[in-house]
Amino acid sequence: MNSAADCEACRWVVPAATAGGPAWMPRLAFHPANRGPRGDVLLVVFLRGAADSLNMVVPHGEDAYYRIRPSLAIPRPNDRRAGAALRSLDLDGFFGLHPALAPLLPAYHAGHLAVVHACGAPDESRSHFQAMELMERGLTNLHGPASGWISRHLASLDTGNYSPLRAVALGERVQRSLRGVVPASALQSITDYHLGGDPQATARLQAALATLYAGNDPLSEVGRETLAVLETLAGLGADRYDSLLEAHYPDSDFGMGLRQVAALVQAEVGLEAAAIDLGGWDTHFGQGSSEGLMAGLLADLAQGLAALHADLINRIDDLTVVVMSEFGRRAAENASLGTDHGHGGSLFVLGGGTEGGKVHAQWPGMEPGQLFGPGDLAVTIDYRDVLAEICLRRLNNEALGAIFPDYSPVLRGIVRPRA
Amino acid sequence: MTMERREFLKLAGLVAAGATFSACTPAYRIIADSLESPAKWLEGDTRAFRILNRLTYGPTLAERQLAAVIGVQAWIEEQLDPASLPDPRGDLSVRPLTSLTLDAADLAAWERDDVVAELKRGALLRRVYSHRQLHETLVEFWTDHFNISVEKGACWYLKTVDDRQVIRRHALGNFRDLLWASAHSPAMLVYLDNQANDRRAPNENYARELLELHTLGVDGGYAQADVMEMARCLTGWTVKDRFWRGQFAFQSGMHDEGAKKVLGALIEPAGQAEAESVIERLAVHPATALHLAHKLTRRFLDPSLDRVPELERRAAAAFQASGGEIEAMLRVILLDGVAADPDPTPKFKRPINFVTSGLRMLQTTTNGGRPVQDHLNHMGQPLFEWPTPDGPPDEMASWQGGLFARWEFAYDLARNEMEGTELSLKELLKAAQAETLEDAFDALGNLLLGAPLPEPARTEVLRRIGKVPEHDGPALLLAGLLASPAFQWH
Repeated sequence: MNSAADCEACRWVVPAATAGGPAWMPRLAFHPANRGPRGDVLLVVFLRGAADSLNMVVPHGEDAYYRIRPSLAIPRPNDRRAGAALRSLDLDGFFGLHPALAPLLPAYHAGHLAVVHACGAPDESRSHFQAMELMERGLTNLHGPASGWISRHLASLDTGNYSPLRAVALGERVQRSLRGVVPASALQSITDYHLGGDPQATARLQAALATLYAGNDPLSEVGRETLAVLETLAGLGADRYDSLLEAHYPDSDFGMGLRQVAALVQAEVGLEAAAIDLGGWDTHFGQGSSEGLMAGLLADLAQGLAALHADLINRIDDLTVVVMSEFGRRAAENASLGTDHGHGGSLFVLGGGTEGGKVHAQWPGMEPGQLFGPGDLAVTIDYRDVLAEICLRRLNNEALGAIFPDYSPVLRGIVRPRA
Repeated sequence: MTMERREFLKLAGLVAAGATFSACTPAYRIIADSLESPAKWLEGDTRAFRILNRLTYGPTLAERQLAAVIGVQAWIEEQLDPASLPDPRGDLSVRPLTSLTLDAADLAAWERDDVVAELKRGALLRRVYSHRQLHETLVEFWTDHFNISVEKGACWYLKTVDDRQVIRRHALGNFRDLLWASAHSPAMLVYLDNQANDRRAPNENYARELLELHTLGVDGGYAQADVMEMARCLTGWTVKDRFWRGQFAFQSGMHDEGAKKVLGALIEPAGQAEAESVIERLAVHPATALHLAHKLTRRFLDPSLDRVPELERRAAAAFQASGGEIEAMLRVILLDGVAADPDPTPKFKRPINFVTSGLRMLQTTTNGGRPVQDHLNHMGQPLFEWPTPDGPPDEMASWQGGLFARWEFAYDLARNEMEGTELSLKELLKAAQAETLEDAFDALGNLLLGAPLPEPARTEVLRRIGKVPEHDGPALLLAGLLASPAFQWH
């Protein structure tokens, strides 16, 4: 089950003849895939550091929330003691958005944005690194395949799309969720993705690189991919993506990354899956409330997603965005006006096929007997229930056993089947 | 593979090239790697090249010669005793960086950007120019293990002190001393929020990473309750912010006076000594030895090798038997692991190794400044700015997708396009007596890959690059070699 998409399970093999390097370089063997039509473009936004979901999507109907977060709680939507701009934005009478997430309200009210609350993974390590690793690999325990869940989705579905931009990691490194046999390129900027210098010399260098990367080793495949991306992006023409990049994205790495995603979608260069990170959520200290450290991160997140939503509104039925984080934070605040590592969190799904405009939750409650472990929100919906449903209904991939090998997902009705 | 005498002499000439630069050459470049006999490595010992390639930031010809003369085992023995190795080039390269010697209170008065820039430059220059390559490799290993980002609060100046007093001082010493120094390091306490760890509601951040990342490992047998109790022990461990700014302080008013229980042992109230007693236990805990052996073995060996688990167990056992000596663990990994390998399997270079190996093996003159650091940022490994406490990863899968950023560096370096970094390609090729483009290509292959590029790639690359105007040819060939798959491994 795991070997088909598990890069680390492939043994290095050393062939007799070597193409582009000395004989001591490792070689890799490859594997086939199944066939099917392609579905939505999938974008996964990972909030690194365990985002405090209780302050993102505030359970304002929960008295305990205000009792155990005397300094950090976001005021109720109708709390007249707080300034209007500091109150939570009511969604359904029980939950409300952090005021810095206000830019997401249009998408929510258009039915394109759903929140899944008290959602997360079974892992109880409260370790960022173990939790992220398991979540990005889509596993319950570390003994499963080393590849990422998005990579296994791509590897288990041959859509007939062999674009070098089928899978793209925004930023400097490829996220674990995208690692595996389908090579993903790390892309920081479309416009900067070319080798400078004299064009003739550069062309010769690229021709030489094509020779050097002709081998059957793991890196050569990435090298050929990189050359193909260079060629594809050069073919786009610089003036064309200037015109595509006009929406009002925040002036941040995250906003910049989302602009690249939108441009690749608009340019129809074969993008099927992209991953982008937003870091800084490990708010043990000075987290802030309606304003402050975390509010700034939320503003970046919300403005970016709102801009993407507006930019791609004509293609919204072919787009699914997931926003997730490795776990939630402790229900009670600590003495340094922050929160420690917790358990249950939340997950956002944005796109035209989303059962949006609502908060999907089996709310476990926040009273002492209802909290989990050292005082954390319990998990009542496994994050893989949501991801599996997206794979099945939005990405046309039925091979859930290959994608989530040690878990049997429960479909929760968070997205609709593609039309 | 044997080399002909003609090539032998060319390579010997390359060694001398380092000492023949003009009057504007900085002082440290004139102190040549003078070694009398360039003889034996020229017999084409690619195995020795591969081992040195793994254990250095890119072996210089001088290092290759020395290892050929005294043998790889003896070369490792020398490196294991860095104090015995004179290091004028390493020392001179960082001498202009005056902030590296200052205390926290003085550093705090500097411009932030200058302090951070000198810290980054210092690390890069030492990796490129120091003879104590193994020491620098261990400095990097512990910098990652006890990761601190200068982006967090006062770490922008506290890290310089941590780098000197914690990491560099104990990199090849006893792990207990290293852990002790790190736990008392203001930079660490700020980075992981312990300076705000107050008895009224403890902050678990440092306590957790101390157990999970620094000592026992995530499967090392601790529970959430141990994290919370350790956080209580650490309440009041903080940093002075006025008088004696940037010094460690134990604030008894913040400390939780109650009894605690960590890892099954009751801890009676004893103020600062409570956490210190746990730190002593953690340093010698068997799970710590295994966790460190696991990480350190992977730093030097491809983890997919069958013998790695056995090597890890032996490295951990040697470490414990020695009372926590880092050298004891290293001896097993390097002498029984790396050097004893008849056919060393390469490891994928992390960006820092890719960059330093280009600079080092080509005998480049660099100030380690902004343009080089910017390339490292694009490759995803900015020095001292890794945000999360796990430090930059040490596995190929994390880095291979960023090939394009490496090609950019290769092209910039080969064309001499980085301000503050000077590559004297002509001098190098002159020393190698490379008359034709083919000669140049082979000499550069010897220098960077330990041997000329194998056929048919050699001829094909020459053919594709060959038609450019004469003077551009070597630079393009060099860019190709630096950007080639083979140069991404070591």
